Amino acid sequence: MINDFEFAQPRAVPEALKLLAETERSLPLAGGTNVLVNMKRAPLETELVVDLSRLEELQGIAVDNGKIRLGAAVTFAQLLEWRAGGAAVEGLFAPMCAAFAGPLIRNLATLGGNLCDASAAADASPPLLALDAMVELDSAADGPRALPLPEFFQGVRKTARRPGELMTGIAFPRPHDQERRYYYKLGKRKADAISIVSVAMTLRLEQGKVERARIALGAVAPVAMRAVEAESVLQGEPLSDGAIATAATVAAKEARPIDDFRAGGAYRRRMVETLVKRGLNEMREVP
Amino acid sequence: MGRRFRGIVSHLTPRAGAPGQTPAVALNQAAWDNAAMKKQRLRFTLNGHAESAEVAPRDRLLDALRVNLGLTGAKEGCGTGDCGSCTVLVDGKAVNSCMMLALQAEGREVLTIEGLGKPGDLHPVQQALAECGGIQCGFCTPGMALSLKGLLDRNPHPEEADIRVAISSNLCRCTGYGKIIDAAKAVIEGTAARANGGGAVGTRMTRVDAAEKVTGRALYAEDIQLPRMLYGALVRSPHAHGQIRAIDASAALSLPGVKAVVTGGDLEMGYFGYELQDQRVFALDKARFRGDPIAAVAAETPDLAREAASLVKVEWQTLPAVFDPEEALAADAPLVHEDAAAYKLDWETERGGNLCYRIQLEDGDVEKGFAEAERIVEGTYHTPVAHAGAIEPHSATAMVEASGRIAIWTSTQKPFGLRAYLAQALKRPVSDFKIVPTHIGGGFGGKLFPCLEPYAALLAERCGRPVQMTLTRDEEMASPLLRHPSKVAFKTGVKKDGTLTAQQIRILFNTGAYGAYGPNTAALASLMATGPYRCPNVALTGSVIYTNTVPNGSIRCPSGPQMAFAVETHLDKVARAVGMDSLAFRLKNAWEDGATTCTGQQLDSVSVKECLQRVADSVEWDKPRPAGVGKGLACNWWVSGTWGTSTLIETNEDGTFRLISGGVDMGTGAMTTSVLQMAAAGLGVPPVSMQIARGDTDTLPWDHGHGGSRMTFTVARSAYEAGQDLRRQLLEEGARHLGAPAAALTLDGDQVFLRDDPSRAVSLAKICHDRHKKHGGPLIGVSSLLDEDPPTPKAHPIPGISAPSFCAHAVELAADADTGEVALRRYAAAHDVGKAVNPTGCEGQIEGGVAMGLGLALMEELREADGKVLNPSFADYLLLTAEDMPPMETILVEQPATAGPVGAKGVGEPPIAPPTGAVANALADALNVDVSRLPLTPEEVSKLVEEREA
Repeated sequence: MINDFEFAQPRAVPEALKLLAETERSLPLAGGTNVLVNMKRAPLETELVVDLSRLEELQGIAVDNGKIRLGAAVTFAQLLEWRAGGAAVEGLFAPMCAAFAGPLIRNLATLGGNLCDASAAADASPPLLALDAMVELDSAADGPRALPLPEFFQGVRKTARRPGELMTGIAFPRPHDQERRYYYKLGKRKADAISIVSVAMTLRLEQGKVERARIALGAVAPVAMRAVEAESVLQGEPLSDGAIATAATVAAKEARPIDDFRAGGAYRRRMVETLVKRGLNEMREVP
Repeated sequence: MGRRFRGIVSHLTPRAGAPGQTPAVALNQAAWDNAAMKKQRLRFTLNGHAESAEVAPRDRLLDALRVNLGLTGAKEGCGTGDCGSCTVLVDGKAVNSCMMLALQAEGREVLTIEGLGKPGDLHPVQQALAECGGIQCGFCTPGMALSLKGLLDRNPHPEEADIRVAISSNLCRCTGYGKIIDAAKAVIEGTAARANGGGAVGTRMTRVDAAEKVTGRALYAEDIQLPRMLYGALVRSPHAHGQIRAIDASAALSLPGVKAVVTGGDLEMGYFGYELQDQRVFALDKARFRGDPIAAVAAETPDLAREAASLVKVEWQTLPAVFDPEEALAADAPLVHEDAAAYKLDWETERGGNLCYRIQLEDGDVEKGFAEAERIVEGTYHTPVAHAGAIEPHSATAMVEASGRIAIWTSTQKPFGLRAYLAQALKRPVSDFKIVPTHIGGGFGGKLFPCLEPYAALLAERCGRPVQMTLTRDEEMASPLLRHPSKVAFKTGVKKDGTLTAQQIRILFNTGAYGAYGPNTAALASLMATGPYRCPNVALTGSVIYTNTVPNGSIRCPSGPQMAFAVETHLDKVARAVGMDSLAFRLKNAWEDGATTCTGQQLDSVSVKECLQRVADSVEWDKPRPAGVGKGLACNWWVSGTWGTSTLIETNEDGTFRLISGGVDMGTGAMTTSVLQMAAAGLGVPPVSMQIARGDTDTLPWDHGHGGSRMTFTVARSAYEAGQDLRRQLLEEGARHLGAPAAALTLDGDQVFLRDDPSRAVSLAKICHDRHKKHGGPLIGVSSLLDEDPPTPKAHPIPGISAPSFCAHAVELAADADTGEVALRRYAAAHDVGKAVNPTGCEGQIEGGVAMGLGLALMEELREADGKVLNPSFADYLLLTAEDMPPMETILVEQPATAGPVGAKGVGEPPIAPPTGAVANALADALNVDVSRLPLTPEEVSKLVEEREA
């Protein structure tokens, strides 16, 4: 079948939800940079494309009461320019957005689209996992709900989003500016590269001991993941060389990378260890 | 189906069901009906004006622009957001128009290249791109210009790093980005970066097609639209090796809108090829690689043609396949061709089984050489399959003319060669075909061979309507012809002082399922295998082997990057073995004037050492490197291609001229600057008074094609000779007008005058007007040229090398031993071009070649498993972006060739060879590792570090 679908362009979220509920084979379209790639290769299995580009409610970024909420249709270009999140957030988002695809795609692609596509290598996932983000979903049938990001990701390109459901936003507690952070994406070239391994970490130290650590990994498991055992190695401990080395080793063990033509699993696993170690060392050095 | 949506979409037409038909047909009947019926009106602002178009929901913004509105400046290089050639500005933001549905643009402001500026009224970005040499093939140019415009609107004073980021989504395969960045800087600083020297030989010249390219008006193959045009698609083998039992096209043919299916059984096919004729346009008895064409389908739309192609049922008996060239030589290996030795091959060789071709060379006595050696160093080097990487995919449009002859508009480097291949393949005379070359969106050897032309021609004949065929990017990346993967083994004898005593070299090229340019590639490799270095004793074997993989061909500098990687990496290993510095070792062994090649050719105008010294100085070779930083050198030599050509220059009645040549410009600017410059120089007029005639194989004189680094060496020389011929005639005419002997006259600019008394003059306009209108008729200067390669003492399928060119490259890089990441810090390339007819063009070839070579060194690799290409996209087959390209110094060395009026040497191909070796050597220097395999991805580098530790 040759992409025989209809197109609707709602102006408000309730209207969008109603349209998405019209058929089980509805498809929300945000930046389009995944959907249109798929459509180029094989017909879309959809009857109705619901264009989200006119939903202003999905495009804003709000900071209040110590919480940051990103609209699901915020683009990577928009987030790259955004400066109101504080140093900790910026220290994750700015390098992530700069390493995401290239400038043309950044002008189109949205955070919500990147998460809903649920690629193991999705660039937005590790920083948002490291920030304890919740995703907000809404539907005409069930109304709004929120899910922690790890629960949202269910498998290779599988999410908890139900048919007819729309991701409306992503929210997380605003970290203190003193919270340390690290982001690195390892790819095969400087621009427009698919992630081989990406690591996003946040770290809060209290009196020399780790009060809270988040280690999030991309492209080393069926979905982006948190290395929770490595985090617990650090919890409550001073950031010693030994603790860092152990956490890095444990994180590498937690990763479940595969071999594919982009990189071998063994290399990805070693890079988890290398980058986690490097990142923890860098965060320790922050004055 | 057939349901009606409420609310906002309620005005849409419900889908028509099609009861009573088979499900597949019913679905497609609906699709076909709805394609016409279900359109919606898109209203938006296009290039400053209100615009509307009827589009289908599935149409992308790119489709609406190109198909509905006829604005073909935005190009489809991939359709998956990976190349940037479709870039437009939407509400001021640069986006891929292939990544938006057209209806998403409702109410938006869209700026395409057609709205940026017009010829004669160019936007500053366009002007600068034209003047700075930021345009070559022009296929990426519209997108590049719009990305730059988007940047400068947002930030009028960006840093260089910002410029690189802003164009990092726009892949350019031609320029290496340097001159594009120069153009952006020129706009920012308000300067014309490079003075246009007016086009005298040796001065910078703006290519004459710059304005049409930078405004998006230049027509490329897929931009051709003919009335009632159909679209074609290929049915390809899903098996690497399989017997075809039966083909059933009935399901495909029953789809409404499908017009024809053609298979090999429907026509009489001949074998075609270059020096070896071993393939037919359709696999008839069996398919030999995944993708081997089985049938071709024509239908009303491209999507429908692909759908129909997927419905052609082929009954297969799969056969055991062989993918590895060494396994293919085993006695019990499956045979790719049952009787390979029976194919017509112009050269004598040992062959048979899966051995397609073998070349052997011996010079001196290697046993004696090894006996004299104080160290013996061995090494084996591998390179992967690579793609030419033109941003424009193959596309061809065929139409049967009233005479019954077939006209084909196509993106080809070799219009006359294509005509000959078609004649062989379809068993018809060459005169049955008229090839109309369009602008070429990058060739690099990938457009030297028939691709879609035979199928478009057959379908057009069958349907009685024009047929256009275009490869999708996925198809393009897995289609012939690719760059040969190689395995090269060296055994080298050397004395402690660095003197080479013997080289034993074994070269293995996997040619894939068909020979194509395989024998030629091996023959070239055998000449390049010693590098430009002295060695008295050489024994060499080069084998070309059939396997069940995608066929490989003559991609830019065929064998060059593979051999330069092997030779140069190995020589550094040899230098280390005797404790010598790479530069000192090379300077000791490099050829000088009078050196002889391994076929015994004595060389002159040898400039290796000068090139080496210049690049070594450029990267401060002797300065100590910090830890993790390395520097590497590599040299190369290459042909200046010959082969036949002819040129006509005819007067116009107003005293201007038409340059009529069969040479095409694949983007390098060779035709549109240096050939024109040389024609004008031969005649004695400025290039501006000469226009390049555009035509086809019916109207233009014969030429071998754009390849082999021959345009400025051979075609420009012929143009110069034609200019001289016409000059003689004009002087004789002047003599008649002025009543003075022709010998006393000269021609300069726009008149003929007495050398001793310039006031006695007659204008060219007067001479030409009189010839055209009063007596004698128009004047025409003619040149027919076939410069044969110099003979050599040793028999070789390629006799000596005409006007060899020499070069050296140096690179500095930083390597991360933990992750394996490599960051290029600076690059230098020195090329002896003999004479830089247009320095901007020479630099463009070098910089673009370096970018391509660096890609081969660091990231380009088609991965295959069981004959299947795993990464057929620009997302996973990576070309260098503007952010990856290091700052570089381009050094033009001018040691004139003895041949030709100005001594120009070829420069199109050689720049891509040395980067592979230079990067490998720099990496070895940085990390103390032994490099043996490309590309040097982070993972590969990390493995090398692990091997070192172990």
